[in-house]
Amino acid sequence: MSEPTGDPVLRAEGLVKQYKRVRAVDGVALTVGAGERVALLGPNGAGKTTTLMMLLGVISPDRGWVEVCGHRLPHRRSEAMEHVGFAAGYLPLPERLRVGEFLHLFGQLYGILDPTPQVELGLARFNITHLTSAMGNELSSGQRTLVGIVKATLHRPRLLVLDEPTASLDPDVARRVRNGLGRLCAEEGTALLVTSHDMIEVERLCERVVFVAGGRVVADGTPTDVAAHFGRADLEEVFLHLAEQALEDPT
Amino acid sequence: MRWVRVKAIARRHWYVLLRAPQRWFDVVIWPVVDAVLFGSIGLYFGSQNSGGNGEEAAGFLLAGIILFHVLFQAEISLSTGFMEETWSSNLLNLLTTPLREVEYGAGVMLFGLFKLTMGVGTVSLVALALFAFRITSLGLALVPLVALLLVVGWAIALFVIGLILRVGQGAEILAWGFIALIMPLSGIFYPVSALPGALQPLAEALPTTHIFEGARGVLAGDGLSWTEVGIATAESAVLVCGAVAFLVAMLAVFRKRGYISRHV
Repeated sequence: MSEPTGDPVLRAEGLVKQYKRVRAVDGVALTVGAGERVALLGPNGAGKTTTLMMLLGVISPDRGWVEVCGHRLPHRRSEAMEHVGFAAGYLPLPERLRVGEFLHLFGQLYGILDPTPQVELGLARFNITHLTSAMGNELSSGQRTLVGIVKATLHRPRLLVLDEPTASLDPDVARRVRNGLGRLCAEEGTALLVTSHDMIEVERLCERVVFVAGGRVVADGTPTDVAAHFGRADLEEVFLHLAEQALEDPT
Repeated sequence: MRWVRVKAIARRHWYVLLRAPQRWFDVVIWPVVDAVLFGSIGLYFGSQNSGGNGEEAAGFLLAGIILFHVLFQAEISLSTGFMEETWSSNLLNLLTTPLREVEYGAGVMLFGLFKLTMGVGTVSLVALALFAFRITSLGLALVPLVALLLVVGWAIALFVIGLILRVGQGAEILAWGFIALIMPLSGIFYPVSALPGALQPLAEALPTTHIFEGARGVLAGDGLSWTEVGIATAESAVLVCGAVAFLVAMLAVFRKRGYISRHV
């Protein structure tokens, strides 16, 4: 297991989550250092999203604990979330809000009194200033994803959590998302925790990958080290190998 | 509690009302319909009774329906405010911000007060314009009665939100269902003695029954019964404590069982 660099912005130990007869997460431990770019990978049903939701305090673990920037969940969830931004490719924008209004709303929920400068900067960073007056339900999935990421970064979070940020995006928009995220992490020192099924994207964006299968962490290291650990050429092959294993042994 | 977050939530719901014409039904159309309906019923039946005074009967019914709208608007604005987040899949967005539950509730209640003012204002104006009935004829007694109805409305909404968190969007109908259940039991237009005997103990247990009883006493010229206000206050306090405890428990279940997956 590789050690994270810098002070940890996220620490989780022994996370367990059981849904009736299914153990979705079984003892996951994860630490993300400041400015570190980490991918949480695994086949469908591996426990990635449940783990993310526990890290964000949306789902409470049966066992284990989560600490974000020194704030232990769930009691200090509000303080912890002041340092976290979250976006997901599958989340729609609320209807009946213009993009500018949506971003102002969330800027203020993050505690910024007048988020106008942050909104303008965020839209410019992803080249979508022309969307300010568009209604949320008029956007394409790519535009929605970009707006969601701008929303998640308005308050300059120390940790950005993205669940499937480029799912269903065309290669051009996916590249703009990657480039924008790369610039953000470089400029702000933001740590990144991403789930994705696009292994090429992960190799380009993240310096560390954590593979989850059957609710457990089965590999943690650089993309090259993890591929070597499984005796595979690249992350794509590791993913396929773990997905086949999951099919053979669904328990 | 951060005021900036409370204001942000209130403004978000203002945008929804502004851009969803169907939402004006609750705050304008329904109050007009109720005022015309109950004012007309009162006038007609009042004039049919020998020696009856149609305007007085209309006044009793209109006072009842105006005060009922305080309860209804308070309850419906808070519960539909929360439903809006589930309808627009915004719950996960909100739960991953620093927003505290109490800040969210305060924001929706703040905007709910605005909706309530519009709804109750509409029904009161129609009552005045068409039936010459002034709700202000209740005088200062209005203050405790309205305050109690507001609190009871919000408490019922907290129960509804708790149920939506627990069983999902199927529970949304209860936002209207609970009010429909409470309406006949509370004796909005008649004393509790008019109810079937078996239902009277149930009616007495509701704070709304004592609030409307208090209002009828004022209209009849007997002044405000502080006994009724006292009972209503005590029952309201129990209701609020129960509602808050229920909501906290349902939120814990929501987080424990991962019910957020129902809302994304």
